[in-house]
Amino acid sequence: MEEDEIVKRAREGDVDSFNRLVEIYQRRVYNLSLRMLGNAPAAEDATQDAFLSAFRGISRFRGGSFRAWLFRIATNACWDQLRAISRRPTTPIDDMPMELESDQPSPEDFAVRREIGEKIKKALAALPPDQRLAVILRDIEGLDYQEIARVTGSSLGTVKSRINRGRGRLRHYLERYRELFP
Amino acid sequence: MYRRKSECQIVQGRLSPYIDEQLNPADKERIESHLEGCQACLGELESLRAMVKLLHRVAMVTPPRSFAVAEAAPKPQPASARSFRAFRAATAVAALLLVFTFAGDAAHLFEAGPVEERTAQQVTPAANDDTGEGVLSSEGEGYADGEVYTWPVFELELALSGVVVVLGGATAVLWQKKRRGIEKG
Repeated sequence: MEEDEIVKRAREGDVDSFNRLVEIYQRRVYNLSLRMLGNAPAAEDATQDAFLSAFRGISRFRGGSFRAWLFRIATNACWDQLRAISRRPTTPIDDMPMELESDQPSPEDFAVRREIGEKIKKALAALPPDQRLAVILRDIEGLDYQEIARVTGSSLGTVKSRINRGRGRLRHYLERYRELFP
Repeated sequence: MYRRKSECQIVQGRLSPYIDEQLNPADKERIESHLEGCQACLGELESLRAMVKLLHRVAMVTPPRSFAVAEAAPKPQPASARSFRAFRAATAVAALLLVFTFAGDAAHLFEAGPVEERTAQQVTPAANDDTGEGVLSSEGEGYADGEVYTWPVFELELALSGVVVVLGGATAVLWQKKRRGIEKG
């Protein structure tokens, strides 16, 4: 069944169809939350909140990209979690490592890949949240600029600027560990 | 010299949209012609590309569970709401135990002697439920009459009262937290 048809049925109140959409997107929504929040329990809460909000609000979905609509809800859930985390300064630091896919032309060993992953994770955490979100959506989630603008509710110019500045800061941060990179 | 530096700054500020092909043809051409003669900016471009390539390799993590929704999706409750319910139940149980203890005490159930005669003169349960004053006075009478308690009833009542006060206090605090959460939500 096509995604549009599943969305249509979910909008009509079919829970099974909505749960098909959950199956399709939960991995991506969870990963978006995890990269954005850097904390596994908070990412789980954000993902749960996002799907519940989407479930309650799907009748208001007016067509277009379902992914962009869902990601927008997910990013709102992430903002809520970020606010909650900032109110709880004792939130434990997440120890879930960030892994990198193995790159066949230059295979590094597992430990080096994990070390690079940790540097990226720290660099992402150091970015202002709006730039972090833009970079994650572009370079980790692979969305195009138009879609990022829809997800974040920003203009194309703002998206370009955030990606540009976010990447610049990341590169500056990671430059110190240049010897680690292939 | 100044112009050259300024051009490098302009180019480096546009390398990100350049690698994503987000520039108009004129800007793209300007960048490319500059890159042909500027090793510094070319190095910046390669460094940026390497970094973006690394981000593309960040592995997806499998979610720890399914996020499928139930038919009647319950609103997710914060930890304070769940604790509130647990504390409310514990307070109710402790309060009930206290009431039973008072009632049992008033009915002289905890005394060693026969209770048949005494039940006729016990303090009414309503008096017990109110403040416990009736219970204390009946206890006083009990001790005055030289009756022997098989259980440390007075201590038990005191301990249960303490437990009810502590649990009740914690429940009230959690209720306030929950209410604030609802107002914010």
